[in-house]
Amino acid sequence: MPSDSEVRRGSVLITTLKIVGVLVLAAAVLSFPSVAGNAFILSVGVVIMSYAVLATSWNFVGGFTGYMSLGHAAYSGLGAYGTGLIVIHTDINPWVALGLSGLLVAVLAVPVGIASLRVRGASFVIVSIAMVLILLLVFQSWGEVTGGSNGLRVPRPFGPEVLRPEQHERFFYLHAALLATALLVWWLIDRSRFGIGLKAVREDEDKAQALGVPTFNYKLVAFVVSAFFTALGGGLYALWFGFLDPIFQFSILVGSYMVLMSLLGGIRSLFGPLLGAVIVGYALEFFKAEYGDTQFHLVALGLLLAIVVLFMPDGIIPALTQLARRFAPQASSIREMTAADLAERRRDADADADGSSEENNGTEHHVTEGARS
Amino acid sequence: MSLLIQSIVLGLLLGGLYALLAAGLTLYFGVMRVVMIAHSAFLILAAYLAWFFSTETGLDPLLSLLVTVPLFFLIGVGMQRLLISRLRPATMTMMSVLLTFAIALTIEGLLGYVFTGTQRRVRLSYGGGDFEVFGANIAVVKLIAFGLAAVSLLVLYLVLTRTRFGQALRATIQHPEAARLVGINTDRIAGYGFGIGLATAAVGGTALSLDSTIYPSLHWHWIGPLMAIIVVGGLGSIPGAAIAAMVLGLGQSLLQIPLGTTWAQTFFYLALFATLMVRPQGFFGGRLAQRF
Repeated sequence: MPSDSEVRRGSVLITTLKIVGVLVLAAAVLSFPSVAGNAFILSVGVVIMSYAVLATSWNFVGGFTGYMSLGHAAYSGLGAYGTGLIVIHTDINPWVALGLSGLLVAVLAVPVGIASLRVRGASFVIVSIAMVLILLLVFQSWGEVTGGSNGLRVPRPFGPEVLRPEQHERFFYLHAALLATALLVWWLIDRSRFGIGLKAVREDEDKAQALGVPTFNYKLVAFVVSAFFTALGGGLYALWFGFLDPIFQFSILVGSYMVLMSLLGGIRSLFGPLLGAVIVGYALEFFKAEYGDTQFHLVALGLLLAIVVLFMPDGIIPALTQLARRFAPQASSIREMTAADLAERRRDADADADGSSEENNGTEHHVTEGARS
Repeated sequence: MSLLIQSIVLGLLLGGLYALLAAGLTLYFGVMRVVMIAHSAFLILAAYLAWFFSTETGLDPLLSLLVTVPLFFLIGVGMQRLLISRLRPATMTMMSVLLTFAIALTIEGLLGYVFTGTQRRVRLSYGGGDFEVFGANIAVVKLIAFGLAAVSLLVLYLVLTRTRFGQALRATIQHPEAARLVGINTDRIAGYGFGIGLATAAVGGTALSLDSTIYPSLHWHWIGPLMAIIVVGGLGSIPGAAIAAMVLGLGQSLLQIPLGTTWAQTFFYLALFATLMVRPQGFFGGRLAQRF
């Protein structure tokens, strides 16, 4: 067992490492446009950043509460169409339109959240899928407003004097700024009492409720925040890409990309969705470039998702931190434990009676412990 | 007036197929608490196999049932034993949704890869045949599809209520631990339950191939209504699913008169939202549905 001062020194070291890591990450992201050789690579960068924004936004619900929505494309699509329609039909500044459409989607998410969060797990997923299918129908059939299957052309926010590569660069930074905001909000929630309540819902909703966590309100707030950021991500994409088609906006695939990216990176970690977005986004672009428009990318996506779900449902980041923990002083690591992990550990502990495996605690451990007892 | 009768008849015929498929979905949910998104992908797969069989051999697509039903049963058992049962119990519901979603994507992709995205249709000698009842035109193929669904549902009902296996299956659905205590091998029963569920997709797919044009991404048009049906009926209740299927199928068919086909589809989703607002556990769901 390491002594107290050793532990404190360890935690200071870890904090410093974390800060340095975040700074390095930010520098890497910000320098990407100048490193990227040509406009195409830069545009791939924008797409990946857009995925990262969407996945991180998804993670407000998926990561904190464990409610996995397969239909978040509904909110990104609504945000995109909202932004586009406001820009087309009014003289409002495009950036104000973006924010306005985000707020509108957040308001709309309230009744949807109330309906779908009343039920657990399975029904929630069903409703999330239904939302996408319903919106696809509506936006395809309601041609006079949405442009129907012909699509909707969104005017660019920058004048014609701004050339393509310049556009890509500006939008890359805009996406990066949105991503940074979303990450910051996630981090703040993660450290708050609100976040702890949400995580208690994820581990055991009944017990959280019994302990006085206002589970329904918490879930609803998380859901609305998630829809808001997803809509902003969708709207920003619309302004960049300049063309919307219901088939691609309200696609189950987009929603499943968000889930796959977040799961792959790790839904319990701040940077998990970002890491997943970089890996999956790069793979998607690679597949598109190599194999063109065949159905093969569906197979690849399906198999990858199945592998992640079956063999590494916790994601890459937790796997790596676990690996790192083996070489670090024991008590300095903070690992969140699932109810299943705890049950297993308790079984182990009961088995070898001396209970020597009951060490290494972090704050989260206490929370889940508390929620269980 | 005849238009109304026509819609009612068509709605009932469609409702029969929905009922069979929803019963399959309910079985998966009952035995494993799994929402099987890939159900409709297997439905389309069976339709493709029926089409492939009949174009290659020139025989009636109904004969493909002799192969697809046992095959799908085995696939179902294998899926439960090898894939679903590997998931952690604590996160079973969520993760199984993602897993079966992944399977659905893989099937869709493979269908598109092997058979291309071209729309396919089975050519039948009796394909254009129809007859009149009370001024309503009924296509023979639709009646065959309904008959197939009705017979399968009846067999399923008899198996569940009259056999020892059915008793064991229902016990597993009602209370797995109690079922284990009285000596039922719930793992094996759950596997068989999964197999039977997938077999309903084989029957439904063959019925579907008789009178529909099929293409790989068609399954998205089926999974939405089917899921709405099982939620409205109450997750886990087979009679509830069957009744909800008939009611919603009829409703969709009737709404097609004033609204047209596209908007009539939204009826399922509106029913889904209304149910969740009014009665989240569904209209026939009991204790089981409340928790999920």
